[in-house]
Amino acid sequence: MSDNLARAPFSLDSDQFDAPTPERRGFRLVSPAPSSRARPRIFYALTSVAGIAAIIVAQLLLSVGISQGAYEISSLQSNQADLGRTAASLNEDLVRVSSPQSLAANAEGLGMVSNSNPVYLRLSDGAVLGAPSSASGSQAGAASLVPNALLTGSTPLTQLPDDAAAKAGAVAITSAPVVPAGLAAPTTR
Amino acid sequence: MSVRNSSAGDNNPTKSRSSRRRTFFTIVVLFAVIAVFLVRLVDIQVVQADSLTADSVGNRSVGQVVYGSRGEIVDTNGVVLAGTVMRFNITMSPVNATPFKRTVNGKKIEISVAEAAAEIGAATGQSGDAILSTISTALKANAKTNFAYIAKKVDVDVLRAVQDLHIPWTYSEKSPSRVYPNGAVAGNVLGFLSGEGVPQAGLESGQETCLASTNGSETYEKGADGVRIPGSSVTSSEAVDGGDVVTTIDSDLQWFVQQTLAARAQETGAAWATAVVQDAKSGKLLAVADYPSVDPNNVGGTKNPEDRGSRAFTQSFEPGSTFKALTAASVLDAGVATLDTGIVVPYRYLPANGANINDSHQHPDQRMTLTGVLIDSSNTGMSKFGELLTKQQRFDYMKAFGVGTATETGFPREDGGILHAVDDWDSQTNYATMFGQGLTTSALQIASIYQTIANDGVRMPVQLVEGCRQSDGTMTEVPDVTGTRVLSETAAHETSDVLEMVYQKSWVASKWNIPGYRVAAKTGTAQMPDGKGGYSDGYLVSVSGYAPADDAQYVVSVSIADPVKLNTSAAPAPVFQEIMSQVLKKYRAVPSGATPPDLPSTW
Repeated sequence: MSDNLARAPFSLDSDQFDAPTPERRGFRLVSPAPSSRARPRIFYALTSVAGIAAIIVAQLLLSVGISQGAYEISSLQSNQADLGRTAASLNEDLVRVSSPQSLAANAEGLGMVSNSNPVYLRLSDGAVLGAPSSASGSQAGAASLVPNALLTGSTPLTQLPDDAAAKAGAVAITSAPVVPAGLAAPTTR
Repeated sequence: MSVRNSSAGDNNPTKSRSSRRRTFFTIVVLFAVIAVFLVRLVDIQVVQADSLTADSVGNRSVGQVVYGSRGEIVDTNGVVLAGTVMRFNITMSPVNATPFKRTVNGKKIEISVAEAAAEIGAATGQSGDAILSTISTALKANAKTNFAYIAKKVDVDVLRAVQDLHIPWTYSEKSPSRVYPNGAVAGNVLGFLSGEGVPQAGLESGQETCLASTNGSETYEKGADGVRIPGSSVTSSEAVDGGDVVTTIDSDLQWFVQQTLAARAQETGAAWATAVVQDAKSGKLLAVADYPSVDPNNVGGTKNPEDRGSRAFTQSFEPGSTFKALTAASVLDAGVATLDTGIVVPYRYLPANGANINDSHQHPDQRMTLTGVLIDSSNTGMSKFGELLTKQQRFDYMKAFGVGTATETGFPREDGGILHAVDDWDSQTNYATMFGQGLTTSALQIASIYQTIANDGVRMPVQLVEGCRQSDGTMTEVPDVTGTRVLSETAAHETSDVLEMVYQKSWVASKWNIPGYRVAAKTGTAQMPDGKGGYSDGYLVSVSGYAPADDAQYVVSVSIADPVKLNTSAAPAPVFQEIMSQVLKKYRAVPSGATPPDLPSTW
């Protein structure tokens, strides 16, 4: 049984072995050589590693760029806020010096008086309406009776020392308005 | 093939045993590692999740308030009367207030707390000791306290000075606040805010719905160096700016009126005074002045709380003789008398109903017209004309002129005055209401009466606010400006002519003379209540009028309360003259061409 059994597979084996021999040989022949198989593997590995490296570097550069931008934005924003504060502060100064109290004090400092006695010349018949008289300043002196706490400590420009008035620049009335030739400049105050 | 198989079969037992052991070991280690990770994962994601989230938010995420800006109050020309500016609170961490190193000229030197406090004090205008005591007080209250104020509401210059000191334990926070660039100009009308920004009075309070802004909030994440992480900004709510209140006030004129009024009020020793300038054709208020004036930048500087409001709106008083213009207009409009109607004016008049009327000065019986009665400001004469109308008729005219009802300005706590129902008038009140007693009016209501007469008998709603200007430029809450006819045109012109005669012939004529213009005006002198139901020794003296009378454009009403040094209408008359001259000059009113009327005052 055992012999028979042992022999049977052999015969079967040998039968099979003999018949498809050419096929088996052909199969072995097409199997690729080890060297030709190794080269593409390294190539692919390198390619993918290089690709990953490139992606990482690009990602890194991008994120560096973005955060650089963030720093730039942050610094520009703080710059802008700072300039905004300066503008607001200067605007406050401007509004304050253009308040009626400040204007009146400065006008009086320049020797101006307000005249509440208007006199009119009617062109149709040349009639003078009202009684012309020199302006005496109807207001109650120089003292402002309408307080403004914001002006505390500010001095009328005429009372500033010359160099300080010059430094005040745009705000200071340092130069008299240009009078066209032929028009006499008033000398009275 | 078979050989290889058998040889593999020979080695298998030992190889598979070691490999199985290795596999088993690997799996055990793997599971152990996974278990450790799993436990940690559950620990982080579930057990400690809340506290870790909070930590991470605290570390990186910054929430901040985005301040909406409270609207401005501007005058009719756009001049800012009340605006919002950013101020800053300087804060510090008392527990961290320790000496620190500072690099000066390349050398590191140590700055002690006292030195730092002195430097801060120099910047904020405090003494160094004051700041040291702030630190010690804060630490006494709580030894670990991390917060205390050094200075509140400082401007950007002070903030920068403090920041330049680079003291590591000082910080700053934003604190929007209100500023009134023109100080007390219209201060009484504008009102003011409390330190916490809550409106307290005036337009600030009355126009709150327009002015109020809504703060927004914004959250972003920041890195260790404090720089915002790009793309992490989340705005959870937008800040909404308030609208601007556009008033009808002209700030330059307002200043002039306040200055002139204050000068005269101080000169005559008055308790208080008001002056109103109104556009006769539109009913717009161009100036509403109060003495004493309050500077909203420095409300504490006005000691008496009553001086912080606007008496022109909130204080009613018995108007006195300026009210006679209303009675005269009613009589003429009803047609019960004409400008030629003559009566006999006694010093004392005792009508049938039991009232007792007398004039302010002794005089014999005089034969007068309505014009004469107003020039002499006779109470008995006015009574004889007034009684030609029924009480109800006069009451209806008063109502139509706006007496007893607050004006249309919507000013907070405006006083509409007292006008009792006709049935409640006793016999004396019946007559007293003809010459401005037994009822009260505010300065505005008196101005409005004269506006009605000046504007051909059409009363315009008194207007203080043009509307609420939204950020996109549209105006909302624009008040109704439809006029109502109170008098016929003829009656209005006749009354106007009578008032022009008063202007020319009154005993104060030389004090209110404005050359070149025709003016209509009337004085008033009324006893002031003593607050106990009787009259005090004080008088409220006033002048109301308008110009140019031939084409009335501006109404001016001046009231001075209790001018102890000059207790007559001679006190307000020069103020009227100065203000009216200024108004006519400022708005380039054309001088009157026609000659003024000449009506008979006697017969």
